[in-house]
Amino acid sequence: MSDRPKTLRDLGESLYKWVVDRLERTPFLSFKFTIPQQYLSPYGYLGTLTTVTFIVLGISGAFLMFYYRPDVELAWLSVKEIEEEVPFGFIMRNLHYHASNLMVLLAVAHLYYQYFSGRYKIKNEVLWVTGILLGILTVLEAYTGYDLILNQRALLAINIGTGLTFAAPVIGPSVAPILIGGGLFDLIVRFYALHVFIIPMIMLVLMAFHIPRFLVLDIPIVLVLVGGIFVAGGMFPVHLGLRFDPSLPEITVPEWYLTAIYAFIRTGTERFFSGALLPLLFTIMFLIIPFVDKSRKLGWRDRPFFTALGISSIILIIFTTLWGFYVDFSQPTPFEQLYIEPTIFYGSITALTLLGFFITYRFITKPSPPRRPTPAKPFVLSSKGLLVATTVVFALMVLTTLLAFQTYFANMQNVSMFNMGMSLILFGLLLHLYRHGISRVAKQPSTTQQPEVKA
Amino acid sequence: MENRRKALKFILAAGTLVAIAPLATGRDFFYRKETQELPRQKIANLKELSEPGSYVNFVYPKTGDQKIDSDPFRQFILIKTKDNKLRAFSRVCVHLWCLPSYFPQRGELICPCHGSVYREEDGVGIEGPVLYQTYPTNALPMVELEVEESTGDVYAVGIDGILGYGRNWRDRTPDSMVKRV
Repeated sequence: MSDRPKTLRDLGESLYKWVVDRLERTPFLSFKFTIPQQYLSPYGYLGTLTTVTFIVLGISGAFLMFYYRPDVELAWLSVKEIEEEVPFGFIMRNLHYHASNLMVLLAVAHLYYQYFSGRYKIKNEVLWVTGILLGILTVLEAYTGYDLILNQRALLAINIGTGLTFAAPVIGPSVAPILIGGGLFDLIVRFYALHVFIIPMIMLVLMAFHIPRFLVLDIPIVLVLVGGIFVAGGMFPVHLGLRFDPSLPEITVPEWYLTAIYAFIRTGTERFFSGALLPLLFTIMFLIIPFVDKSRKLGWRDRPFFTALGISSIILIIFTTLWGFYVDFSQPTPFEQLYIEPTIFYGSITALTLLGFFITYRFITKPSPPRRPTPAKPFVLSSKGLLVATTVVFALMVLTTLLAFQTYFANMQNVSMFNMGMSLILFGLLLHLYRHGISRVAKQPSTTQQPEVKA
Repeated sequence: MENRRKALKFILAAGTLVAIAPLATGRDFFYRKETQELPRQKIANLKELSEPGSYVNFVYPKTGDQKIDSDPFRQFILIKTKDNKLRAFSRVCVHLWCLPSYFPQRGELICPCHGSVYREEDGVGIEGPVLYQTYPTNALPMVELEVEESTGDVYAVGIDGILGYGRNWRDRTPDSMVKRV
């Protein structure tokens, strides 16, 4: 430090240093937190992005609790009120809904990236197992969440969920009444408690065992992600759905992460076997992977069996998920519209997964011509280009922000939400251009300042 | 170079503000609309308040929802005082939030829980626990009224003070709460 008189900036710096020094007494400094100085492929830190989405969900969910009423009479009405009456309520609810979808999606992507790159080895077994458990809890959390609306779709999910619990051997008859209590009036409160406290708390505990000591957080990508949630909320607002009415036959399908299980249940084979045991076996397969795959090889090409297994599991997920959505409206009754012929269903999924497995296996084991990696030419903007790009992005940001305000006060919350998202995405881009530009400016040797030390 | 660095930093700082600014509308989420922009609501007619000492209890702002309308913070009382003046007070005692009632003979509002007494002229506490509370937490909030001369309808248009907390009663005379239109 120079011997200049103390400025506000110096004060800030010394305060920062003081706090960081004291943080040594806490566990926080044992995490190596990296904020990359250049673009980094997000595949490597999909877990961090999932956590960011979890935080978005925590914040928006906590605020939704201000208005939501876990009461069998009021639940649907209070969600309707949030959607239509409460200022910013539409945005808050869609933020929560779309973040929940994104979290499930990111968790699955995170799982498969780690799977194909063999990260469950090298002493990462505990991280892997807690990760799988966190994935299951993420789906359960989303499931209890959309049940709280108490629309027709929620009741379908509640019916299936409690039915599966009842059908579970040995523990079922004693566990399911814990969920149902004396009826829907108890169930809604219990699902609420599970959704806002019990499951998130278990997730936080598991996260403590899942979080690695080396973390990467790329802020531009985070901004694009959060902005993307806003954009999705503005473009595809979630439907409130019809209020649950026990006298109305309505054909609905569950949320997309449950339609795969729904397809199994629709075959009409024994409920627990198709709706719980088979998905459970699928999950157990993932749980025991690190204890089965004992080879020291990490790359997907070097582990053809497990790569093929992973690919065929993706095929199974996509195929059953899509089939769960399909409803044959040409049939006369609701039952026939939803019924899936079990022989066709089980036959085709078995054939498809086996086919997928063998094709992938053959494809990988076939020696491929060695590829010469072409060195990627780093894309560098000229200083003029950088200036133009930054100005354009900034101008677009100003435009979207103004539009966001204008549409918000014109009570068009969906358009406003879209524009807020666009502004955040553009801000991510601006931040990326900034670090691009700053690193270039710093690399110039002609500056009068001391040369910066760069790795 | 230094200028370019500065320009980049400036755009980044401005961009941060621009990106975060629209999210600030989220503050609206935390307030109930009808308690922020109080409506003009008919609460009584002067015919109901012909005698000094007569009074009308009313709900403000009224929603039509039984549960919300029975909330203590929406309970108010309109009084014709001994001096033939119109006064409207919140019924929430600023001591511990019980609901005081009006005693026409004494010209006072008296709380049933701990015996705080408020005078009908301006709602300032003169006896009981409320006497030990400091200004401005020792007076009942008042309702701003409009009286239509032609019809005799009395409207509530706003609230002076913070419900269950107090009112800056030295700043505004109780007569200024009643407007004739």
